[in-house]
Amino acid sequence: MACSPGFHETCGDTVLSLRGVSYRYAGATDPAIRDVDLTMQDGELLGIVGASEAGKSTLCLVAAGLAPRTIRGSLSGTVHLDGDDAASLQMHELAARIGICFQRPWTQLSGVCETVFEEVAFGPMNLGAPRDETLARTEEALTALAITDLAPRDPARLSGGQMQLVAICGLLAMGPAHLVLDEPTAQLDPAGTRLVADALAQLAASGASILIAEQKTDLLAALCSRIIVLQAGRVIRDGPTVEVLTDPELPRQGVPETSAGRLRRLATEAGIATELLDQALD
Amino acid sequence: MALVGQNGSGKSTLVRHLNGLLRPTEGRVWVDGVDAAGRTVAQLARLVGSVFQDPDRQIFAGSVRAEVEFGPRNLGLTGAQLRAAVAEALAAVGLDGQEDANPFDLGDTRRKLLALASVLAMGTPVLIMDEPTTGQDARGMGLVRAVIAAAHAAGKTIIAVSHDMNFVAGDFDRIVVLGAGRVILDGAPEEVFAEEQWPLLASTFLEPPLAARVGARLGLGSTPADAALIRALADRGQQFDGKGAKPPHQPT
Amino acid sequence: MPAFLERSPPSRWHALNPLTKLIFATVTAMVGLIIGGLVGPLILVAVAVVLPASVAGVLGRLVRTSVLVSLPIAISTLLINVFFFPGGQEVLLRLGPVVATREGVGFALEILARILTISGAITLFYLTTRPSELVLDLERRGVSPRVAFVANASVQTVPAMLERASNIVAAQRARGLDTEGSLVRRIRGLLPVVAPVVLGSIVEVEERTLALEARGFTRPGRRALLWFPGDSAGQRAARWLLVSAVPAAALAAAYGLLAWLP
Repeated sequence: MACSPGFHETCGDTVLSLRGVSYRYAGATDPAIRDVDLTMQDGELLGIVGASEAGKSTLCLVAAGLAPRTIRGSLSGTVHLDGDDAASLQMHELAARIGICFQRPWTQLSGVCETVFEEVAFGPMNLGAPRDETLARTEEALTALAITDLAPRDPARLSGGQMQLVAICGLLAMGPAHLVLDEPTAQLDPAGTRLVADALAQLAASGASILIAEQKTDLLAALCSRIIVLQAGRVIRDGPTVEVLTDPELPRQGVPETSAGRLRRLATEAGIATELLDQALD
Repeated sequence: MALVGQNGSGKSTLVRHLNGLLRPTEGRVWVDGVDAAGRTVAQLARLVGSVFQDPDRQIFAGSVRAEVEFGPRNLGLTGAQLRAAVAEALAAVGLDGQEDANPFDLGDTRRKLLALASVLAMGTPVLIMDEPTTGQDARGMGLVRAVIAAAHAAGKTIIAVSHDMNFVAGDFDRIVVLGAGRVILDGAPEEVFAEEQWPLLASTFLEPPLAARVGARLGLGSTPADAALIRALADRGQQFDGKGAKPPHQPT
Repeated sequence: MPAFLERSPPSRWHALNPLTKLIFATVTAMVGLIIGGLVGPLILVAVAVVLPASVAGVLGRLVRTSVLVSLPIAISTLLINVFFFPGGQEVLLRLGPVVATREGVGFALEILARILTISGAITLFYLTTRPSELVLDLERRGVSPRVAFVANASVQTVPAMLERASNIVAAQRARGLDTEGSLVRRIRGLLPVVAPVVLGSIVEVEERTLALEARGFTRPGRRALLWFPGDSAGQRAARWLLVSAVPAAALAAAYGLLAWLP
């Protein structure tokens, strides 16, 4: 399979595999996720939905190896990245393989870099890349997300959406095998959401493997091929986007309907034929 | 009333004038018939309750109860009245039963609801909410909308700053659009989201809700909210000869 | 390397290595303390503070900042020593029970001179050196990147915390917090302001730590820096010379070689 810019070759097709994974935070009585089985293939775009505290963030942290490592807790089951057991890898090795992006843009900035260029270069530098390689990777990542014009700007003065792009760019520069995104647009306004959504669509088109948790089902409907529904820590649905997002049970499970889905449902409930609607929604 | 506009258009600056946190360099602010210039922030807090966007910039107490008590207590409520105000506010946001919980043990979305409750408990006639639906899940969203509907039914004035166009189109009867610090549109959702206004909305980076776009595409006039679109479709459907239309049934 | 990353220092003094400037400031301050007297420190100020400051083009700012910072100490020192110097004989001014003596004035002026030297030297360093460059230089010399990061981040935290704090005060005032009442009320009102600053910072630290780890921060060992301040053999020699000036001054003072300086 062709390699997208900034992404490592992966050995085999399964890039992420969780088997029977349960995770309990230190000091908590109940596990945050239970018996989760999940595999992600190379180039796949996997969406995670669920009510808040259903375990989406926990799943992202476990998939990225930050739990139980940095976040204290106990993990049962196995997590494999490209065939390697995540527990056997050092934290910085994990960082090189998975890029994880969080909700709040400003806490992801290093806070010590005066330009976006240095901010994006932070990751490869930390990983010990020689100077030329750092420069090359940074330029590549900036080009991949089309933010080269932001390079000389002060990261602290960017809009929320731009900050998130810089954060994702900084992850790309480390050359990860796949990206994990935990509600990246939750704190953004529509302009910022659009920025991030377009960037993700571009990455997807170039063959990236992306795991993304979101409340904005509209976004996931446009981006993902497969959706997983979490409820009280368990995976209750795992299937193609169209099927999962049109399931009438979804709102009861705490997942918002897509805008189009809601319109269709309201029309059906009011006894109106949906052909006109479908035409307009195409 | 909903206040919309891109980041930096002045929304937050404007609402901070309504309870005296900011004072105008020009012009006047009148709250309930009184010039705000003659009142301190603490005095205006009796009239105007303001929920900020980030709950972590407000939450300080070790328990949910203590947090919600803070506002009404500052206004002079004690004893049974205080307890009642707190209980009512917590029930409205679905946090009843969590009185002894530590706010930081609640998740992000429930903390945001806690911040809302602690201002609700103050019982002010005017309620300002800054981005109440940002970061909320479906349940939280439902609770916020219910709170707004109940407060509105009780005669309160609600001002919400939001960038969620579906939310403002469906739940508010007046929308004020800010662009570069000025009011560029002010009216009912049907007027603000009508097709002629779309270029103006675009100038402040706003997109009309899906229902409005679908309505325009189908030539149904201005239908900013889902309900309006469905009504318009139903009316259009009346003009055909029942082609494919089923008798309406009760929504589950 | 992109052009905007090349730092172009505004003067030759600015262009000096940060460590050189740091040692220069420290030595100036220490020697000023050691030699004592009035003329010694003043000569030092002229040569080691005013002269480099004019080369660097920061003389105006330096005078303003330095005076502003030392004013409180200077005033209290002056008052205490002019009026309450023990063993003062020659009376200059009598204000009731309080007496101003010539010896007191002399002593106060000497202390003032020392204060000027120290604050001048530190201000010169502060005005001509960017903290990030100093930290980069230290990292190049072997300081762990993680320690360097903490040093850099600490400086950046303060403005962010202040902004948070002002936001928090606004939110609590909107809930009726009384910031204009009696002292007791205002003290009681501290908790609702301080607690979110602290708690919120803790929450933020957790998230920042996660984000840093996700960017390979925990990898042990050095990094290949994109840029670091230059150094030269001349500056290295100068640094050693400067450092040796401290014990030299101490010895000279001990052996009374400087007694001829008023």
